[in-house]
Amino acid sequence: MFISPSQMASRRVSANPSPLSLLREALAEISSRQRLIAYLVQADMKKRGSDTVLGNLWWILDPLLQMVVYVVFVTILARSSEPDYPLFIFAAILPWKWYSSVVSDACGSVVGRAGLIRQIAFPKIVLPIAAATAGVVGFAWGLIPLLGLMLFYPDRISVQLAWLPVIAIVQYVFSIGTAILLAAANVFFRDLGNVAGHVLRLWWFLSPSLYSLATFDSLKEIKDHPILREIAGLNPFAVLFEAYRAVIYGDSGGGLPHAPDLLPLAELLVASLVFIALASIFFKRVEPDFAKVL
Amino acid sequence: MAIPATAAWSSASTVPAIETHDLGVQYDLRFTRKRTMRESLQRTISRHPPERFWALRHVDVTLTHGESLAVIGPNGAGKSTLLQVLAGIMRPTEGSVEVRGRISGLLTLGAGFDDELSGRENILLGGAFLGLRDTVTRELMPAIIDFADLGTFIDTPLKTYSSGMRARLGFSIATAVDPDILLLDEVLATGDAQFREKSKARVIELAQSAKAVVLVTHDMNWVTEYCNRAILLERGQVIIEGAPSDVVATHLERTAAARADREAQAKAAGLDPRVR
Repeated sequence: MFISPSQMASRRVSANPSPLSLLREALAEISSRQRLIAYLVQADMKKRGSDTVLGNLWWILDPLLQMVVYVVFVTILARSSEPDYPLFIFAAILPWKWYSSVVSDACGSVVGRAGLIRQIAFPKIVLPIAAATAGVVGFAWGLIPLLGLMLFYPDRISVQLAWLPVIAIVQYVFSIGTAILLAAANVFFRDLGNVAGHVLRLWWFLSPSLYSLATFDSLKEIKDHPILREIAGLNPFAVLFEAYRAVIYGDSGGGLPHAPDLLPLAELLVASLVFIALASIFFKRVEPDFAKVL
Repeated sequence: MAIPATAAWSSASTVPAIETHDLGVQYDLRFTRKRTMRESLQRTISRHPPERFWALRHVDVTLTHGESLAVIGPNGAGKSTLLQVLAGIMRPTEGSVEVRGRISGLLTLGAGFDDELSGRENILLGGAFLGLRDTVTRELMPAIIDFADLGTFIDTPLKTYSSGMRARLGFSIATAVDPDILLLDEVLATGDAQFREKSKARVIELAQSAKAVVLVTHDMNWVTEYCNRAILLERGQVIIEGAPSDVVATHLERTAAARADREAQAKAAGLDPRVR
């Protein structure tokens, strides 16, 4: 084989690459374009900060206002028995806001750069990765109101909060997979954004967000069909919400914060890595058609 | 393999920079029309035959370093598609493309990189998009800013720029990266007269320093004056390839013939007694 020094820059288009080579390519692109991802995240931050009057303050206000809505809603209508209910649901609102913002940003990440995609060749996979990463910044902002809220419940403040980054990493990995899949699919089906909004809402209410997974056990339907309990446990956000709640809030019975259940988190992490791999292969498979479709 | 680097380099200069063989690009209109899910579902159910059309077909282009090739033709001939394939933005449906060397090009200048960011930040972002290392972009920054000549606008968000200013910034970035192959689409028509002269000079300079240039343009003077080869594309096919003057002459002939043809048809239709 002839190897020339300029080979790095040369390109020959082959017909049908194997899934494994697509995956390898995707990983190489992500690792070699970290700077681009960082710039895209910065640009995103800047946009959010400059669009509105209150700018970055919305990162803090948004989850707080949402919490107030749910607290009013649940205490008036559903008469929740959970003590310290604001903190109970805030532990779910925070990660959920992160995830739902990643979903909507990811849907628009490739489509929103249509002009650029038609004029220069670059690895498009950086776009959903940047969208998912920008979500982390939002989550980090959300920790400020969380800490503020916790001051009202001083006995729940504990070293267990140190688990937060670990749980967040699992969620980050899961959200990257989602972002890659949605960014590519939305190019071909533009109504995905509309669909996603409704799926997210349903998913939120089916997840142990406003209630704990334990309340499931007392339901008659669950007792009759134990399989439903198993299915509920497979929900990534059942795992994540329970973990966040364990370290921020504790147990609904009044138990103080404790370490999260690590096995389901580990399982979710492995499943998410597989998810990223499959989503990347799909993304790389359809990537060459982006310029034609956009 | 034990080939000395020097030998490889000298052979690289004789090897063409761009080579396409029987290149074809097919568009699948099922997706390009931006259908919603409902429509595509309906189409799948009703088993419409797939709508496809060839934007390019049987295109063979070879370009050596130092050459500058003009691509001319009427609107919708596939000129921009050809550039997109060469740039690696699009994958050919059939045939092959081989590109040797670092390629750069802004195919539709004026899109910019990010509207919210300043010109300076756009240069950094643009460099990252083009795959430059950050240190390299920062080194090139003064030259890019100088060439774009945007004054104090370099520190204001891109959304405040006029289209000419965007084009200037884009051109400056695309040519500053010292590409081996430069792809330009209608860029010489943008900007004011002064910048047009400046960009022409830059393109000539790049072509002379043994860079390959592929240029899509409607400016026939430019083609005959500064390009050493030209191809005429019509409906995705190469009609003629050769010396710029011959290709331009053929193009003008064919456009005139097509216009005469259309006029004759319109006349015939207008005078047709059955229509009256």
